[in-house]
Amino acid sequence: MVGLLAAALLLYPIVFSGAFYRDIGVAFLLAAISASAWNVVGGYAGQVSVGHSMFFGLGAYAPLLLYTLWGWPPLVGLPVGILLSVVLAVVIGLPTFRLSGHYFSMATLAVAELIRIFFGAWPLVGGAIGLQGPAVARGWWDLTFRGDLSYYYIFLAVLGLLLVVTFEVERRRFGFYLRATKASERAARSLGVPVRLTKLKALALSATFTSAAGSLYAVKTGFIDPDSGFGILVSVQMVIVAALGGAGTLFGPLVGAMILIPLQTAANTWFGGGGSGLTFIIYGGIIVLIARFEPGGLHELWRRLAPRLWRRAHAA
Amino acid sequence: MLLEASEVSKAFGNFWAVAGADLNVEEGEIVGLIGPNGAGKSTFFNCLAGDMAPTDGRIVFDGVDLTRASPEAHARAGIGRTFQVPATFEDMSVLDNVTVGAFLRHPHRGDARERARRVVELTGLRGEQSARSLGTPGRKRLEIARVLAMQPRLLLLDEALAGLTPMEVREAITLVRRIHETGVTIVIVEHIMEVIMTLTRRVLVFNQGHVIARGTPEEVVADEAVIEAYLGRGTRSHSRERGNP
Repeated sequence: MVGLLAAALLLYPIVFSGAFYRDIGVAFLLAAISASAWNVVGGYAGQVSVGHSMFFGLGAYAPLLLYTLWGWPPLVGLPVGILLSVVLAVVIGLPTFRLSGHYFSMATLAVAELIRIFFGAWPLVGGAIGLQGPAVARGWWDLTFRGDLSYYYIFLAVLGLLLVVTFEVERRRFGFYLRATKASERAARSLGVPVRLTKLKALALSATFTSAAGSLYAVKTGFIDPDSGFGILVSVQMVIVAALGGAGTLFGPLVGAMILIPLQTAANTWFGGGGSGLTFIIYGGIIVLIARFEPGGLHELWRRLAPRLWRRAHAA
Repeated sequence: MLLEASEVSKAFGNFWAVAGADLNVEEGEIVGLIGPNGAGKSTFFNCLAGDMAPTDGRIVFDGVDLTRASPEAHARAGIGRTFQVPATFEDMSVLDNVTVGAFLRHPHRGDARERARRVVELTGLRGEQSARSLGTPGRKRLEIARVLAMQPRLLLLDEALAGLTPMEVREAITLVRRIHETGVTIVIVEHIMEVIMTLTRRVLVFNQGHVIARGTPEEVVADEAVIEAYLGRGTRSHSRERGNP
């Protein structure tokens, strides 16, 4: 099954070689990386951050800022963005992990909004206008490619790495501690689980990959502004993609992105610029459906329905 | 002395839930804590487990002062506890639940899994079953299994047998005995007198935050202060008139 999925992802841009399909493919991968990264802390550890755009934005600004200030290749900005995001994760995590449930979510949302407003007023990072990357590549290290194909495979490699890391985390002590923390912090602590450290490590790991997703986005787009980096929609998309597929599962965010991104792109294409507000309607509708009918997402739905379908198929 | 809790008090505002309680436990003992509802047993218990920091007093475990230590530090020191209302990890299987406990002493997955499997077997559970599908007796058993996997020296059981049928209580008593035989010291809060009479040699009785009696189970059930605490003042004089305790 995993092999089939990997083959499908590898072959997709070759089979669907049109620019439109490749664009959807890249958008899907970016959403899958971001949501999978969010999933580490939001899904596995159950700490629902609604402010993950703070890491995405830092990751996005770092390469373009280094390029703008000193002409450094955007690639150098990737580790810088990660470093800043991890530091921010620790700074944010230490006080906010004293809060739980909705309070933690609210705190992350507030911090992300503060950073967005701050960046919008900070001339060094271009204020409300934002920053631009190299228009023409000076070499491969600028990661400025003409078509989407190179980006597609770079994004796919990062997604692959993230999934391998998540899979390893799931199997190890850290993964068990994350799930125990999500289920009952009190019980987890009584068993010797260092709950706050576990949450902090999860947030740092999550911030690392979210920041990488931001850097990839900025390098591909060649442009970043406060809204596309730190906007609330960036955070909400991560939550919805993960929740739709199944938060706290390895492939949940992938499934969520497979459904949501084509849907979103189709809506934007059909309705043109006037359809941009549709994103909010789609997100709202999905939140209502998940909350009302299947809080475990499609993964949970499949887990419940699969045995029934299997039995019916065999009875027939 | 394995556990020395001296003059432990816990106040919530002006209300003293526990007021100067002492408890000393020798290695290898089973000690019972009883008392009417609201007597302060659970608060005292939570102080012993590190869930609450006492307002006053001192808790020393195996020579180490744990008075203000976190629950994690209590666990690392070798104190394990179960909860009055079972707090199992619902989305995980029985074996995964127990593995969380086993990871404390066995950081590597293979060793932790091996330890967890042995404990699941000892407690008579089915490892692959999901925790969500267990009934009350199963959940209580799972909590015991999970805490055993962390190889505690002192096990604090908070009404681990409440809500079970008489048959299940007898099975649970056998399980607690088996655990005790492996060298684990046990402090048990329990309402069911059969459990206290069968398992313990020493009992403390709580009422209104104070320890009002201590001794063997036979001694405390005959104690006037205990009878008064459980049945009320009128019953005491009535019992005296009839010549009964």
